[in-house]
Amino acid sequence: MILNGTFTFNGPRAKVWELLQDPAVLAKALPGTKSLTKVGENSYEGVMKVSVGPMSAAEFAVNVELKDQVPPERFVMHVDGKGGVGFTKGTATIELLEIKDQAGPVTVMNYSSDMQIGGKIAAVGQRLLESVGKMMTKQALDALNAELKARL
Amino acid sequence: MPAGARYLNARVVRNEDARLLTGRALFVDDVQLPGMLHVAFVRSEYAHGRITSVDVSAARQRPGVAAVYTAEDLGAYLKPGPILVSPPPIPGLVFHPCTQLPLAKDKVRHVGEPIAMIVAESRYVAEDALRDVSVDIDPIDAIVDLEKGLAPGAPLIHEHLQSNAAAHVVQRKGDYAGVRGSADLIVRRRFLYDRGVSAAMENRAVAVQWNARAEELTIWDTTQAPIPIRNGLAQMLGLLESQVNVIAPFVGGGFGPKIMMFYPEELLLPWAAMRLNRSLKWTEDRQENFYATTQERGQVHDAEMALTKDGRILGVHDVFLFDTGAYDPYGLTIPINTQCTLLGPYDIPHYESEFTAVFTNKTIVTPVRGAGRQHGVFVSERLLDLAARELGVDRVEIRKRNLLGPDRFPVNHEIMFQDSAPLIYDSGDYLPTLEQAAEMIGYDAFVRDEQPKLRAAGRHVGIGVACYVEGTGIGPYEGARVTVEPSGKVRCATGVGTQGQGHFTVFAQLVADALGVDVEHVKVVTGDTREFHWGTGTFASRGAVVAGSACHAAAMAVREKILNLASAVLNVPKEQLELADGRVFVAVEPDRGLSLGELSAKANPLRGAVRPGTEPGLESTAYFGPDRGSTASGVHAMILEVDAETATVEIKRYLVVHDCGTIINPMLVEGQIHGGVAHGIGNAFYEQLVYDEQGQLLNASFMDYLIPTATDVPSIETAHRETPSPYNPMGLKGVGEAGCIPTGALFAQAVEDALAGSGVEITEIPLSPNRLFELIERAKEGRT
Repeated sequence: MILNGTFTFNGPRAKVWELLQDPAVLAKALPGTKSLTKVGENSYEGVMKVSVGPMSAAEFAVNVELKDQVPPERFVMHVDGKGGVGFTKGTATIELLEIKDQAGPVTVMNYSSDMQIGGKIAAVGQRLLESVGKMMTKQALDALNAELKARL
Repeated sequence: MPAGARYLNARVVRNEDARLLTGRALFVDDVQLPGMLHVAFVRSEYAHGRITSVDVSAARQRPGVAAVYTAEDLGAYLKPGPILVSPPPIPGLVFHPCTQLPLAKDKVRHVGEPIAMIVAESRYVAEDALRDVSVDIDPIDAIVDLEKGLAPGAPLIHEHLQSNAAAHVVQRKGDYAGVRGSADLIVRRRFLYDRGVSAAMENRAVAVQWNARAEELTIWDTTQAPIPIRNGLAQMLGLLESQVNVIAPFVGGGFGPKIMMFYPEELLLPWAAMRLNRSLKWTEDRQENFYATTQERGQVHDAEMALTKDGRILGVHDVFLFDTGAYDPYGLTIPINTQCTLLGPYDIPHYESEFTAVFTNKTIVTPVRGAGRQHGVFVSERLLDLAARELGVDRVEIRKRNLLGPDRFPVNHEIMFQDSAPLIYDSGDYLPTLEQAAEMIGYDAFVRDEQPKLRAAGRHVGIGVACYVEGTGIGPYEGARVTVEPSGKVRCATGVGTQGQGHFTVFAQLVADALGVDVEHVKVVTGDTREFHWGTGTFASRGAVVAGSACHAAAMAVREKILNLASAVLNVPKEQLELADGRVFVAVEPDRGLSLGELSAKANPLRGAVRPGTEPGLESTAYFGPDRGSTASGVHAMILEVDAETATVEIKRYLVVHDCGTIINPMLVEGQIHGGVAHGIGNAFYEQLVYDEQGQLLNASFMDYLIPTATDVPSIETAHRETPSPYNPMGLKGVGEAGCIPTGALFAQAVEDALAGSGVEITEIPLSPNRLFELIERAKEGRT
């Protein structure tokens, strides 16, 4: 599944970068995240619950590794999730651009992800995967933006 | 058949329906045994990859789990499955046998391949334990597309081979290259035919009981071939054949994939039951069925037909790829069926057909109803339609010009059929069949009067007429034992399995006619190795032809015993005796006789001796094995309307005129045809397995995989013609697959005709409203 998009944060890039590196913030922002802990310099482990069509609250054990980091511009996430109803494996590239706006700096995020999805979730959830993926991404980004606003 | 046969060609109501309709029929999942444990399988979520670890320790700890097995635990039992059908002896044939392990070790080659087996006190616990198993797989790029699979540098599915080619076969008749130059017209296209599932109503199931005291293993299995399964399992488990019973009770649809596959589940449950000394059961769920039960149909053809300007076929040249899936246990039956069936009822003097079977990271391919025949019919029928258009000849007329005449039989096609015998058509009468179909559907009047009016009114209504032949009733043999019991009732046991065809009725009809008893008094037993243990199974439209002929032969032998004994008892020459109403009596003096029950008691006396050369009882066993299959044929015709905006299709009329030789029961023949047409319609317009580039099946449920419902299947008109086969005593031919063989070709023809002038050309099956919409849009772009 390929998900690409752009999102604008109402704040400076350095602050956005900070948020994206904070597991406590991410755990709150990412829908369905039950836990997310930092287990190494650039690696995280967590448990997520997702609902796709006929599969409700399917749990995935997720490993995320951050690579090719260029603070505060760019990083690549390697995601490896395994659960009772399938797996997801792939990468997401995140790029942050700061733009000076009249009201202050804003940060434009370009994201592109290519995830392989397999098992039952691919077999019976296929019709809904993309829309669920888009919806979850939007919820996460909106929540991050709200957190950013609260911190500024 | 003796004179006065009451039941041959009669609409006898099915003997088995009372049990089926009142829920008293036994299916494998109905088997409940004391202390029975339940099984679930951990299956690969990756289509292609290397297994780096399988950790089952947590599953073993779960309360209620009795055992967990991986490939490591199987020891010497971990062996690749057998090659089920050896390729025929075709010169130059290349075949690389690669069969599946019962549990994957080192590598997985398709989604759904079993990796571990969990045995637990209930299916619930077993399924929960599935999630305790941690499997690590290093993915390898999957082979999904046939041509990419053959490209140099493609990842190898079986690494000991040089490429992903599983087989290569060329068959020739005449000299196509030589005749091509003299053709007035060459039509050439690429044709695609994609995969589907058989979608039997009952999924697979296996239940096993190991009786340690008797040292006897009993297996209830949804198999079409209980005897080969018993023999194979006995050998693999180190038991005598007589220690193993395989029972295929009522089975809710076979359609091919339930044949003697030696599926991993079939092999593992008996092995584990013996180890654990417990009864076990596994029933496949619908999603497993989409991955773990074999499938059919992916083929890509590059074909051309050479014709004279008056529409006579000079020859056909076809090169095709065949998707065999991850392994090839069933050999080359399907592509050879395709190769042979392409010739159809036509006189094609020059033919060259070459195919390459390709391994892919998809579920294993084995025959599904039609078994490759529909692909061949699709190619030849479509080429004829295209040629008719190019030459300005009517579609029915071009077929008439090319049909083999009745004086041509037997027709030797000089190529090898799937049963390792030369492809010979035994008999047929094709022209009257085609004429009858065209007349029934009102072809001439429709094309001349009705269609122009409909078109003028802006409606897209098309007509199609497609011909086919079907090789049926192949050997090697089947057998039957017929016994008259002292009650006067008759028992007939045969080895083939039954999956709803009506064996309990047709075999009973044959026996009843031979013995002069009521058909309800013949109790047929099928698919139980305790009852009869010689034979092969139900496949290739052969049940009625081969097992039916054996039942007939056994009953005729019993008839002879009845006549001999009655002649002695009544002191009347046997030529003067008659059998009717369950009695044997003197023809001119009907009161002088006795019931078959009484005679049966006399044949098994409590005092006195069995004289040399005689046997006790009124019982006989007989076998029948034809030298080669008999060729059924037929013509399907349909009228359909396409909604050009939504690309949905409404079938207005569908009819089948077919010839399956002597008919035992017209009602059951019609039932077979109706079911086949429903399958064919699904194949033509609804069903398609969709894989992503990594070999993930994206529509593994009936939410997304469409099968036709009752509202999508029209009422089907049928007409019977009977050209008896000379290859068996009653002139029978098979009919199990006739309904679905030309359906794709017919659908394509009728849709194209409905959209005539739009530039839409149909060279692929399955269609769907979506796909047809794309083709209509593409044709519009092409025109602008």
